[in-house]
Amino acid sequence: MPRIFINGHPVEAEKGQTVLQAALAHGFFIPYFCWHPALSVSGNCRICAVEVEGEDLDIACNMPVREGMRVLTDSEAVQAWRKRMMQFITLNHPVDCGICDKAGECTLQDYHYEYNGEPSVSREPKVHATKFFRLSARVLIDNERCILCSRCVRFTHEVSRSRALGIQNRADSSLVRASEDGRFEDDPYSDNVIDLCPVGALFSPSLLYRHRVWYLQATPSVCPGCARGCTVRIWHRRPDWALHALDGRQNEAIARVTPRENPAVNGPWICNKGRDLARIFERPRATQAMLKGEPVALGTAVDAARRLLEGARRPVALVSNWGSNEELEAFQRALGGRVRAFVKEDFSPAPGEPVEDDLLIRADKNPNTAAARALFGDAPPAFEDGTDLLLVWGEGLDFSRLPTRVPIICLNAYLQPENGHADVFLPVSVQTERAGHYTNFQGVVSAFEPCFAKRDSVAHAESLFAALASPPGPSP
Amino acid sequence: MSWWERMYLPEIVRGLSITGGVFLSNLWRWATGRKGAVTTFYPEETRADYAPANRGKHILTRRPDGRPQCVACNLCATVCPARVIEIEAGFDPDDRAHPKYPLRFEIDYSRCVFCGLCVEACPEDALRMLPEVPDLPGHDRDRMWIGREELLDWSPRGDVAKPYPPGGEQVRPGGAH
Ligand code: SF4
Ligand code: SF4
Ligand code: SF4
Ligand code: SF4
Ligand code: FES
Repeated sequence: MPRIFINGHPVEAEKGQTVLQAALAHGFFIPYFCWHPALSVSGNCRICAVEVEGEDLDIACNMPVREGMRVLTDSEAVQAWRKRMMQFITLNHPVDCGICDKAGECTLQDYHYEYNGEPSVSREPKVHATKFFRLSARVLIDNERCILCSRCVRFTHEVSRSRALGIQNRADSSLVRASEDGRFEDDPYSDNVIDLCPVGALFSPSLLYRHRVWYLQATPSVCPGCARGCTVRIWHRRPDWALHALDGRQNEAIARVTPRENPAVNGPWICNKGRDLARIFERPRATQAMLKGEPVALGTAVDAARRLLEGARRPVALVSNWGSNEELEAFQRALGGRVRAFVKEDFSPAPGEPVEDDLLIRADKNPNTAAARALFGDAPPAFEDGTDLLLVWGEGLDFSRLPTRVPIICLNAYLQPENGHADVFLPVSVQTERAGHYTNFQGVVSAFEPCFAKRDSVAHAESLFAALASPPGPSP
Repeated sequence: MSWWERMYLPEIVRGLSITGGVFLSNLWRWATGRKGAVTTFYPEETRADYAPANRGKHILTRRPDGRPQCVACNLCATVCPARVIEIEAGFDPDDRAHPKYPLRFEIDYSRCVFCGLCVEACPEDALRMLPEVPDLPGHDRDRMWIGREELLDWSPRGDVAKPYPPGGEQVRPGGAH
């Protein structure tokens, strides 16, 4: 454990650490653009330079700690260096923060206020380059904003391993480009480079100009896209910035999804499916309870379902592996003793979807199979003779595969044709409307929180199960 | 109250003499062609004593081709203490110098406090407030929004200070040069 001194304070660094790592670990901030904890050291941006007493300035991200070294992170020489580096990095930068979607969470912007704060001293016209250049259908680049830190390039070489990005030409003609064989198009992790980019050079065409980041808030959540259960942040419009004249649906829509770093599950990354959770959660919703396709009040439908359950002698339930741990336990508590329950796979891999790889993506495209199987076993659904009631919770089930002439109670959140065929249909909430936990395939439990309020005509499955088991009374 | 005040009538007479005096002096000013307390017919008439720099109705300035100078940066909407500006941005990839522009630009006059902070925040001189008073009276406070077309059209102005498209710069496509 080499002991070093940072600004005079003794710090126990770890062997093999760099000065930058040791400083950050002990609460001394050193600015950095090109360094990233999960990528190799590139050492090209030079903003992280520190002074070692008795030596020259050098970059902290590539400086191994040495016993007894005395590092200064904020000396006059370091401050002057940073200022010059900021001048250099922004030499050809368009400084178009006003129309840049990264503004508000941009490292370059923050460092400019912190370490430079002055207009350019250059009188040369700025070098122009391509804007809105398409690297793939999901990622555009503004080469004028790019500061050539090479984080995106290293990501595709070291993490996603598509080796799809590179830098062409040299000096102020350098351009980040994707290989021409379409590998970046097929990289299922490509969108991570958008978060990685310390400036606003990389962006998603589908989100372009849709939001300013300070109008958004992040709710911690879990991606239900596969059994990995990556922890994510779901960004949506802050209630105090709710829109009144413009489309009000934006107030209750997912603006974007970003990774929530979690070393136990996904590290700092998620796959592109996790970015597109709106495609899952913003499908048309079922909001109307029904009896044999006829709209009724939720309470009426709950009473009907309760009567069916009371009268059934051999009821079978197909339990959703999209249910949270809390919902699955509520089901077990309320109905587990009376109903023979099987775990149902709500989703199987969609055509063209990457099935499995050795980074994150798992073949099981459901978030909570582990917890569901732990409670209800892993036998495939079987309907023995004499089954006289079916309770189907969740989606993805073809009703024609069920035994005929058996009454069906169906719980679903989305508008699907099967709903109308059920004897009793109960609309339920989705993940973004409630709190809960998922257990991923490794047994790691992660929590999610509600982003939006649920509608009154929709029930939380958790309270529904309790109501179905209890004697008639007030409905949920 | 004193004994005199409790007598009632003397106080009534005193009050009438005050109001009557003001009435007669205003009448005299009006009869001699001067500005007195004569009511202006709002909103058709503007009071003569409005300051020339009065912060009245907003406009969006235009570029020479008539399109809005605004880049939909939302700084005005962000600084607005009443939070009454809502902007929906559009994307025009072919307009190299101005790819982001407002598709919709809405200001709610039922809540605007006419502070002018939005005008000060604008980095593009795209938003101004003219001295004219907006035509505020209405029957529904939810319908006091004015939108992009009215802001652009009711008193069209350009930004004279700024050349457009920005001069002195060469575009080198692809960065190759
Ligand atoms: S696009 Fe962004 S991440 Fe990639 S090199 Fe440029 S600045 Fe770095
Ligand atoms: S790897 Fe699985 S859990 Fe993680 S973001 Fe992708 S789909 Fe979601
Ligand atoms: S004048 Fe003030 S209150 Fe009115 S829109 Fe501008 S910033 Fe908002
Ligand atoms: S009016 Fe000005 S401050 Fe408001 S969005 Fe447009 S350019 Fe930005
Ligand atoms: S962070 Fe050290 S050189 Fe870029």
